[in-house]
Amino acid sequence: MRSPFAYMPRRGPLQAASPGAAVSYLGAIVVVAFLYSNPLVLVAAGVAATLAGLLAGARTAVRAALRMGLSLALLIVVVNALVVSRGETVLARLGEWPLLGQVDVTAEAIVAGTSYGLRAAVAMVAFAVYSACVDPDRVLRALRPLAGRSALTATLVSRLVPVAAADAARLRDAARLRGPGAAVVGKAPLARRLLAGSLARAVDVAATLELRGYSLDAPPARNRRTASRHDRRFYAVAALVLAAATAGKLLGADDFHTYPSIELGLGPATLAVAAIVALSGLAPLRHARRRRAADGTKVPLYGGKSSRRRMEQGAVRV
Amino acid sequence: MSELAIRRGAAPALAVEGLSYAYPRAAGRALEDVSLEVAPGEFVLLAGRSASGKSTLLKAACGLVPHFHGGEIEGEVRVGEIDALETGPGELAAAVGYLAQDPETQVVSTTVAAEIELPLEMRGDAPADRARAVEEVALALAIPHLLERAVDTLSGGELQRVALAAALVTRPRLILLDEPTSQLDPVAGDELIWLLRRLNEEWGVAVLLAEHRLERCLAAADRVVAMESGGVAFDGAPADFLAWAEEADPALTTPAARLFSLAELSPLPVGVRDARQTLRGIGVGHPPHIASRRVPHPYSTAPVLETKGLWVELDRGEDVRDVLRGIDLQLRPGERVALMGRNGAGKSTLLRTAAGLHEPVAGKIEVDSIALLTQTPGDYLVRERVGDELPGDEGMAALRAVGLEHAVDADPRDLSGGERQRLALAIALAGRMEGEQLPGVVALDEPTRGMDHARKGELVALIERLSGSVALVDQEATKATRAAVVVATHDVEFASEFAERVVLLGDGVVIADGPMEEILSGGWYFATEVARVLDLPGVVTPEQGAAALRGEPR
Repeated sequence: MRSPFAYMPRRGPLQAASPGAAVSYLGAIVVVAFLYSNPLVLVAAGVAATLAGLLAGARTAVRAALRMGLSLALLIVVVNALVVSRGETVLARLGEWPLLGQVDVTAEAIVAGTSYGLRAAVAMVAFAVYSACVDPDRVLRALRPLAGRSALTATLVSRLVPVAAADAARLRDAARLRGPGAAVVGKAPLARRLLAGSLARAVDVAATLELRGYSLDAPPARNRRTASRHDRRFYAVAALVLAAATAGKLLGADDFHTYPSIELGLGPATLAVAAIVALSGLAPLRHARRRRAADGTKVPLYGGKSSRRRMEQGAVRV
Repeated sequence: MSELAIRRGAAPALAVEGLSYAYPRAAGRALEDVSLEVAPGEFVLLAGRSASGKSTLLKAACGLVPHFHGGEIEGEVRVGEIDALETGPGELAAAVGYLAQDPETQVVSTTVAAEIELPLEMRGDAPADRARAVEEVALALAIPHLLERAVDTLSGGELQRVALAAALVTRPRLILLDEPTSQLDPVAGDELIWLLRRLNEEWGVAVLLAEHRLERCLAAADRVVAMESGGVAFDGAPADFLAWAEEADPALTTPAARLFSLAELSPLPVGVRDARQTLRGIGVGHPPHIASRRVPHPYSTAPVLETKGLWVELDRGEDVRDVLRGIDLQLRPGERVALMGRNGAGKSTLLRTAAGLHEPVAGKIEVDSIALLTQTPGDYLVRERVGDELPGDEGMAALRAVGLEHAVDADPRDLSGGERQRLALAIALAGRMEGEQLPGVVALDEPTRGMDHARKGELVALIERLSGSVALVDQEATKATRAAVVVATHDVEFASEFAERVVLLGDGVVIADGPMEEILSGGWYFATEVARVLDLPGVVTPEQGAAALRGEPR
């Protein structure tokens, strides 16, 4: 079974962009998430990462990352609420707990936990979009001049991970299919079996690498791919987001305190940074280039029924 | 010698002289004094039973033996003018391509284009040369539409072609293939063989192909080398090979050859076309095709498996696909059913749904009790003693059902491939039997991958025992002990040996369901070699064919 985060080649701008441009763009969103604590900006970063993934066609990856990220965020909120008793607004007194001592759940601790959780969720969604949209072969090829052997080893690992995941799924199925009279299979024997199988597969893959010339001491090959026409867009958006985030930080846009009481700044600087960050999620939007029809109106080069109809109308007029 | 001279065919594509080899820590030698030559542009078929040394010979020819596997080696191996024992597999890759049985382990990149380009990149070729070579090989193998795909979204047949493209992109003069069709359906398998023939004829690539299903590729070969216990037992023309195999090892002959042999016709045919020509030559024509009629099912007992309007959808990462689309099916006790169809037709999904691994999205499925053996029996074996896998009376009953009660103290790793498969089946059966009574359905998913004909014969015997066609170990078969045995398989000849009914799936729907003789004689791809030779409705096995040729009533 395929991982929801596995790379899927598509003809979108984010997939076509060079790894550097895509990493800069998605990295800028993650940087904002780690630079800011203000929940509004964090939500904007989450919206940006989600929009970017959806527009790039990585719906499954975004859905899975949101599920995992929000679950993790919820866990962080709960743990923070139980562990941190600071804050003026006590919502519940849960008495003495082993190891934790007196547990008071405060609104401030919940909000602080939400901020941490949102940060983690944004990072997870951005990484999921990266994983599903950026060709790992191109990334590793870009890194190869810097560290050839390491890059190839990373290629091998990235290939073996989905293979091992498929092996694990098969072993789980086989364990479920054992008759009720057969010995029960615990997790440890299954893990041992998976490890043994993975080693055997690794040997096979290593043999393939030998046959492909891995052991040759050839000069590093130059990269065939040239920069994408979309690169400039992603670099520009990344620069804009980072500039806005830095300027906003200096102008107090990250005005947010949780202890002893909650203070959430929603001034113009914060709103502006949030808006810019959220809108940056539109960068992977594929816009059709337009050309002039016979009557002088603009017609997309590719599009749906309406554009075709307009082109046909133009042709009739001619 | 220069590369140009090698390309022009000045030296044999492969020359092996007195080659003996033992794997590290192995008790015996895998190869024993092997000598053979493959001429430039020759298509050589490597035949032989499992463990006869075919794979090891191929690995020696591409440099994996001894450079990757180690071990002790004597003799000479030359690819063109290159000494393969001195030169590593990487350097040899320019002169020889190698394709192994399992395509999964032969790809190391994420996308198809990157995978094909990798050997050239490792060699340091210029970007323009790499781009052209990838395009050329993709066109030659008819896979340009796959170039931008992720490798983990490809079918087995597509993956095999991609691996072949990666092996061919350096334009080697020799290509070695180790049972490349074992995981492919008949359509994809035939396509691959004819693709090899085209590469051989148009590019002049010498081919050394190891295969068990000889009927698929014998006609394409110029020469056959048969191996036995690590040595060359026969080396000659395909027609001579059939005559030799008939005497020395009948398991290596093809169904068409067995047909001729039983009908006392000669010469033995190397393929369908050859057989038809011979039959025409001796005045045996083709009777007009009589439309077959559905034979009503002979059983009146209640079904042990029944599906009505069964729909199953699977999420494959980026898309959700209906894999089964409204399947109606009934299996009754004692039936032996072959479930056939192309890769992706829904065979495995149907069996897995019956075993409870998938939930239907519509329709219903009712099954008495089912024991399912998946495609990799090794997945069931996790302990180091057979008795530890199957403890108690229930375990022993299951071992008895598959004829393995003598192996209770053995380590599963010491069992033969066929015994390991039976042990895995016993694990699936354990506790689902009441005394010696089998579960309602025993299902096997692609059990013949990589099996030679002799092991397939053992499997047929086991299927007959499970379905109650012959007596169980120490008791007479009764209706109570009968299981419906359903086997998902691509192997048409194997299906003709065990099945009494064939269900043919196509894109998630049942496209044919009827007696084996009717289904396997009514098509081109899902038809036995004998059926393709004679084109007589209901005639699929050599025995039936010989009887028809003798004019005996059917």
